[in-house]
Amino acid sequence: MSEDRFLDQLRADARALRYEIDPAGASRLRARIRARLDEPTVAQFLAAWFRPLAASLSALALIAGIAITVLERNQNISLADNIEISIGGDVFSVGD
Amino acid sequence: MSGEAPRQDDAIESQAIAAVKGGDHHAYDYLVGKYMKRVVSVAWGIVRNATDAEDLAQEAFVKAFESIDRFRSGEPFGPWIYRITTNLALDVMKHRTKFRHEELSGQEPAARRDAAELPALAGEIGRRIDQAIESLPAMQRVVARLFLVEEFGHTEIATMTGLAEGTVRSHLSLARKKLREQLADIYGEGHE
Repeated sequence: MSEDRFLDQLRADARALRYEIDPAGASRLRARIRARLDEPTVAQFLAAWFRPLAASLSALALIAGIAITVLERNQNISLADNIEISIGGDVFSVGD
Repeated sequence: MSGEAPRQDDAIESQAIAAVKGGDHHAYDYLVGKYMKRVVSVAWGIVRNATDAEDLAQEAFVKAFESIDRFRSGEPFGPWIYRITTNLALDVMKHRTKFRHEELSGQEPAARRDAAELPALAGEIGRRIDQAIESLPAMQRVVARLFLVEEFGHTEIATMTGLAEGTVRSHLSLARKKLREQLADIYGEGHE
């Protein structure tokens, strides 16, 4: 108790003015809070969308990489199949 | 309630906070259960509307959960959640003040005058006190309610509202003077 009797008395009487949420309201509020906490965060939401997208793009990049490698290899083989030799200003082609 | 530095003396609360920080969402239920009633009461005291108070309590708990990593272990959760609640409620109050013309034109219900939601146990003296507190200017009203109804100390109110402790005392002193005048027929003139 402070020395201010008026405020002390007022405090004692004002205590009854505290708002009491009813049990049904309390249960409802608990459920709402739990539901909000279970909602995915923005980062989780974006991750859920971008993960398959990133996987698809990675697969496409891999396929493209393999395709380019195969094409380059075939090109090199075809170049290797047609060899040109220059002797004394004359060019000779050694083919299939 | 006093101005002493808060300390954590609820072992279960400490464990719950540690568990929440470790990613256990369900451990948060303990904190919600422990503080929900008071949080709603604090919010209601400022916004004076049950629906708004519950919405604010929900937002406060979600906000506290989302920033739990910033919460210092070993301290009680109460002052932190009360501060978040008070800040959110004060924002609502400022927003209402800004758009008061809408309320005055009748487009929005006069939520602050929702006396029907007063606790049933309040009684006639309670109603008079409530009316007297409600007649105070905004920040005096908030400080008076937190001090008289919720029984927080000056330091706690300063932390919750972001005001300096001296300002809290000043608001309370002014509020006291006005309340004493308005409630003189109940408490008489002799109280000093």
